[in-house]
Amino acid sequence: MEVSFDIIKRGGKRQSEPFLRHKLHASIVAACLSARTPEGQAESTAHAVCEHVVNWLSKHPEVTSHDIRVVAGRHLKNYHPEAAYLYEQHRITI
Amino acid sequence: MDIASSLAIVTLAGLIHTSFQLSVSVLTLLSGHAIGSKHSHARLMRLTTSFLFGAGLMTVLLLSFVALVLLSLFGLHTPQVIWAMTCGIMFGVGISVWLFYYRHEKGTTLWIPRELASYLTERTKATKVSGEAFGLGLTSVIGEIIFIIAPLTISGLVLIQLPAVWQIVGIVIYTIVSMLSLITVWMLIGGGHSLSRIQHWRETNKHFMQFMSGAGLIILGFFVYVFEVLGSTTGLI
Repeated sequence: MEVSFDIIKRGGKRQSEPFLRHKLHASIVAACLSARTPEGQAESTAHAVCEHVVNWLSKHPEVTSHDIRVVAGRHLKNYHPEAAYLYEQHRITI
Repeated sequence: MDIASSLAIVTLAGLIHTSFQLSVSVLTLLSGHAIGSKHSHARLMRLTTSFLFGAGLMTVLLLSFVALVLLSLFGLHTPQVIWAMTCGIMFGVGISVWLFYYRHEKGTTLWIPRELASYLTERTKATKVSGEAFGLGLTSVIGEIIFIIAPLTISGLVLIQLPAVWQIVGIVIYTIVSMLSLITVWMLIGGGHSLSRIQHWRETNKHFMQFMSGAGLIILGFFVYVFEVLGSTTGLI
């Protein structure tokens, strides 16, 4: 059974929304693919990182979307440093 | 000013323009999204090439527009005070680049307002077809107008003094040189180079690029001031 968590949006200005694992999964797959990783490896990496994030969420009742990005990035770095770099840079390129 | 000196000034102005990074940032993001969305290599190249054409067209249009405005305002003989004012703008923009061009934080975040940066990021993410990428190329050049207006103005002033054929040559030179950084990134992406390496290089060398952009503007402003203002006042050049 999937547990639901609420995510506080940036700056608390927008309404909180439920954590959607598939959104996180898709963003990590995209970062891996951007680093020219084969699709299968990207999927398995995203799956592993999502597991870590869900475990972390179960211990933290109140988190922001930024927290999730930081935690996901930290775990992604262990599996794929290049993809983690792109994942981190996405919001600080422009 | 002879044709060779004029074209040299236009080339240096184009080099200064190419050191500005908004279009390169957008192109890097666009490529990242296209690869991350499992688009084919052909589609990636279509998107990035359209972006390149958009940026190139906007550069041609802006330079032609600036030259036309200057020509209609001042005719073939630009007053000394306008040269002096343009040199002042070059100094001012050069110092502003040194102070403000990059934000003091990680990554390659630029001076632009965060709302505009978010908008560009979202538009880049939403870009799926060549027409949108072309529009994004046009927009990314406009987005940096506050800085590129200095090299555009000095090039416009120089170009309107040239014969018509050389004006076209000047516009072509400026456009090609101003797009060198974009063309380089486009070729690297097309050649299958890693985006993270490209972005890492940009992040590592951002302060050098910032220094060179500012220094280029100040040097060009100083050169034009000596050549056009002091030279014609003293009659030595």
